[in-house]
Amino acid sequence: MPELASLRKRTQAALCLACGKCSTMCPLSPSGWFSAARLAAIREPETEIAGQTRSLDACLTCGACEQRCPEGVRFVEFVRGVRALAPPVGRRACPHGEMLQAAARLMAGPTAPTRDLGWIGDELEIAETGEVALFVGCLPFFDLLFTDELGIATVDIARAAIRLLNGLGIRPVVLAEERCCGHDLLWNGEPEAFQALAAANAAAFEARGVKKVLTTCAECCSTWRRDYREAAPGYRPEVEHLAEFLAARLAAGELAARDGAAPSTTFQDPCRLGRHLGVTEAPRSVLAALAGGAAPLEMERSGRDADCCGTSGFIHCDANSRRLQSERLAAAAATGAETLVTACPKCLIHFQCAQCEDRRRQRAGNGIAVEDLTVLAARMLVPASTARPTGDA
Amino acid sequence: MSATAGSQARATLTVPGLAAGPFPLREVPPSPCTLACPAGINVKSYVSLVAEGRFAEALEVVRERCPLPGICGRVCHHPCEDACERRPAGGPIAIRALKRFVADLELELPPPEAPDVAPRPERVAIVGSGPAGLAAAWDLARAGFPVTVLEAAAQPGGMLRYGIADYRLPVEVLDYEIDVVRRAGVEIRTGYRVGVDGGLGELLAEGYAAALLAVGAQRGRGLGVPGEEDCPEVEDALAFLRRVNEGDRTPLAGRVVVIGGGSTAIEAARSALRLAAKEVEIVYRRRREEMPADEEEIETAIAEGVAFRFLAAPARIVSEGGRLAGVECLRMELGEPDASGRRRPVPIPGSELFVAADHVFAAVGQEADFGFLPAELAPRLAAGGRLATDPQSTMTPLRGVFAAGDVVTGPATVIEAIAAGHRAAEAIRAFLDGEEPGAARPAAPPPRELEIPSPPPAWAQRRHAATAPIAAGREFDEVERAFSAAEAIAEARRCLRCGPCSECRICAASCGRRHLTIHAGGAGAGSRGWLLRAPERFVASLEAAGAGGACLHRELADELFGDAEAGDQAVALLPTRVAIDEDFCRGCAKCIEVCAFDALSLVDPEAEETTVRLAPARCRGCNLCTAVCPTHALVPTVVAPEWWGVRIEDLYPPLAAAAPGEPRFVVLACQRRAGAVGASLAAAGVAAELVPVRCCGQVDAGMLLEVYRHGAGAVLVAGCPGDACRYGAGADLAARQVERARVLLRNLGGDAGRITADWSPDPEGSLANSGWPHLAVLARGLGARQEGVSDA
Repeated sequence: MPELASLRKRTQAALCLACGKCSTMCPLSPSGWFSAARLAAIREPETEIAGQTRSLDACLTCGACEQRCPEGVRFVEFVRGVRALAPPVGRRACPHGEMLQAAARLMAGPTAPTRDLGWIGDELEIAETGEVALFVGCLPFFDLLFTDELGIATVDIARAAIRLLNGLGIRPVVLAEERCCGHDLLWNGEPEAFQALAAANAAAFEARGVKKVLTTCAECCSTWRRDYREAAPGYRPEVEHLAEFLAARLAAGELAARDGAAPSTTFQDPCRLGRHLGVTEAPRSVLAALAGGAAPLEMERSGRDADCCGTSGFIHCDANSRRLQSERLAAAAATGAETLVTACPKCLIHFQCAQCEDRRRQRAGNGIAVEDLTVLAARMLVPASTARPTGDA
Repeated sequence: MSATAGSQARATLTVPGLAAGPFPLREVPPSPCTLACPAGINVKSYVSLVAEGRFAEALEVVRERCPLPGICGRVCHHPCEDACERRPAGGPIAIRALKRFVADLELELPPPEAPDVAPRPERVAIVGSGPAGLAAAWDLARAGFPVTVLEAAAQPGGMLRYGIADYRLPVEVLDYEIDVVRRAGVEIRTGYRVGVDGGLGELLAEGYAAALLAVGAQRGRGLGVPGEEDCPEVEDALAFLRRVNEGDRTPLAGRVVVIGGGSTAIEAARSALRLAAKEVEIVYRRRREEMPADEEEIETAIAEGVAFRFLAAPARIVSEGGRLAGVECLRMELGEPDASGRRRPVPIPGSELFVAADHVFAAVGQEADFGFLPAELAPRLAAGGRLATDPQSTMTPLRGVFAAGDVVTGPATVIEAIAAGHRAAEAIRAFLDGEEPGAARPAAPPPRELEIPSPPPAWAQRRHAATAPIAAGREFDEVERAFSAAEAIAEARRCLRCGPCSECRICAASCGRRHLTIHAGGAGAGSRGWLLRAPERFVASLEAAGAGGACLHRELADELFGDAEAGDQAVALLPTRVAIDEDFCRGCAKCIEVCAFDALSLVDPEAEETTVRLAPARCRGCNLCTAVCPTHALVPTVVAPEWWGVRIEDLYPPLAAAAPGEPRFVVLACQRRAGAVGASLAAAGVAAELVPVRCCGQVDAGMLLEVYRHGAGAVLVAGCPGDACRYGAGADLAARQVERARVLLRNLGGDAGRITADWSPDPEGSLANSGWPHLAVLARGLGARQEGVSDA
């Protein structure tokens, strides 16, 4: 099939030597059945993909393998491409039911959604148009699945972001017609639906005069910054994770840590932020600023070598996911930090899921606090000036 | 909306690829209770049907193998309950009480009519109208043979009438059930004494092609101790019971002592108590544990005031002044086990004790009375107090003369007599058909791992039927009360449904697409269980899911499906267990929380890495665990991907392709009520695509949103309300998913009203497919909404 052949060429999968160096980094290697090299050898979609659907789904697309590949195989992109070619039959559905996927597909339809923005409340201020927008993403929808079960409200992350921005005098644009960023559809093999989402989002934000898109989610950030460049090349806003934005404002002296004890922290680099975008310093500088300059404690593997939270794109979850979560929580606790901080709502959900499981099983698990960076920052940072929100930045 | 529902809707929304093919046959053993029933009643099937409130069908299942359900429902010693896997967990299912419940319901209705069968010319005579004779007569009559039952007594029933008193078995029930046998075409001639009114040889000469001797063991043995013969107050317990049951209610003065430990002893003691005896004591030579009488009977007797003296045996009857004074007994101790496996009582020398008595009833054994046999034949036929028969053919050395029941085996139970009657009837049929008699029962299958965890969790406890105290003036009124319908359903729902299929036949009734047909397989001697006919792809997927199928023999299948096209014969039963893919399990324990049957547990809850394991006997295949499993480690079985429900995506292309104005109303219904929901909608002229799901608890918000996205004008989830869900959490889980889908749609500005749920209670007084009229109203509302929907 020419598509697969060109994919192999484009991602250099054709160059894979099966040397096995990737396995030394791959977090799924301990499973015993997952082999990146075996996946990279897929040449025949009809037969070989069908035989490896589990591995294909299980790949975290975290990119750890690429750190070691001597041939420069862009394995993650290869897996993404093969998933788009893979026959849908036999694929395992989302571990949390199909609601999030269904929601994303609904939003990919021709009719723009009219999101309920009631969660913003009266205290926070947003704008209809302006240069700075906050891309909210799935945060309000996660809560439908996880608030009851895990006791977390990811929509608080979005509120925290608006509060921080308001404190800096910025009323961000938040769109009712915002659609899903399409990350999961893109990575799980539905490129057409992703394309529709990207084009519609780009048009909607461009129409509001947005020049800078802020996100609080590593996946939204990487999708907007890297994948929208291809999918919606006509619109090139600046895309920043809020951690980057805050780091710059802290450096500029516009924000200061509130008096009071910040927890000692360690940082979980989300795959999309660390390895995919190379953003590892900004979140650390924010955490250092919160702690009066003390750098966060580091886990044994961090930054571009950090281990994944165990699941990516809500496509696959199994005993390996659990193992990765437990090991990562243990590594975090081993640093002596009080709080494990992440910059991706999915990392937050996955770690808390493992902890919730331990509670359900009534076993003493790893109880280290897990918190989102934006929420922690909103709690600990205050504007250096007393400037009131005055309008668009 | 279209005026014709169902068919037209299906014509536009067809699930592709349902062509049938040849299907494999597999054999799976029946459940322990079914296997334990001597008469071969499909116990699990009727318990399952009671759990569904399908009482008439339950009774039908019992009658397949037992013409006397009301009688067995009262007096059976229930080996099925002894085999019940629930025994260690809340007590065995009260199976006997369930049988009585369904049998009693029929007393209020007109008796069932005899089925039409092709008549056979060969006449069969049956001597004796006890349970063995009646069962044989029932089977033979239903096979078309003219049957005459000859009964020496004035009324039919044998030991059922004369050995069991009214307070356990009301005579109305006996009369009713004998009447059902009569209606099946059996002629019963009472007052006819074979050997007096006509000899055995004359019967055959008279034109009967075969005869069955089922005369029972009606003569009580004596105590065999000195002083017994010339004391009129020492009486055979059977003779006493016969007198009582013939209506003689002369009060008994003073103290009554009953010797023996079997049912007859208990029966005599309780009857004596009802005849105003001052005190009643049972003297038994072993201990309570060794008593052959049913444990429940013993308990009831104690509750009524019968005293027991164990480890004592009569040595001498003591009379004073021509009147009974008492029994001199010897104390016993238990020695080595005897032939019956029980420890043999051994008298302790010098341990004499005196038990005062005004009446003594001997219940120490029964034997057949061979007075009816011609003198020249008796030595050939009767040996050791029993009739000699060929164990395979049940035929006596006299060609064409068969024997069954206590006269062959010695005193046994009602259900064993019925079983013997079945075997004899089958042997007689084979004889008359000129066949070689075959094995009457299939061999017991190898034991299966049922994995009941120990200790059992605190499950719902067995319900006991209430008992009434002895009422003055109404001493012989029935003691044990029947379950109410609610009690019966609740008790039946405790059933674990061991074995490959719950055999409730609900699948066939509720499969809206009629992919499944079920045939009763109880007719032949070797056949039990149900046949489920399913397209091969279903069978294949069930097999892939690790589920067992079940079947009967191919010949029977061919017979049943004889009118189908060649190669289209399919037999497979629903598997009922979820499968676990341990590689995927992360040990989250969500499934454990949702399982109402404690079928799931963690291998090692303390360990960091663990997986869930299944107790197969407890799993009912409701698949609620699969609905909450975050990793798909739990693989649904009945709802295999191609089955009802999960392959809902098969609806998407036709939904998306439907022209404006075509019906695009999708109903996801609990399989239990899918039939009724479909009927209700059809009656209202609402065209809808009905998708039965095993339990609505499996419905996922994403599934609903996808149906919505693909253009369904409205999606209705029609499930059982919380307290009616057979699987516990189904309604809660489904309600949460429906709410999620609606909230998500509201958050996105969609039309949340197009997704709705209905949790109507079951129609009052019946669980039959009588429907919910309000669904039509609901559907019309949704239909109006659908017509207003623009293509989104």
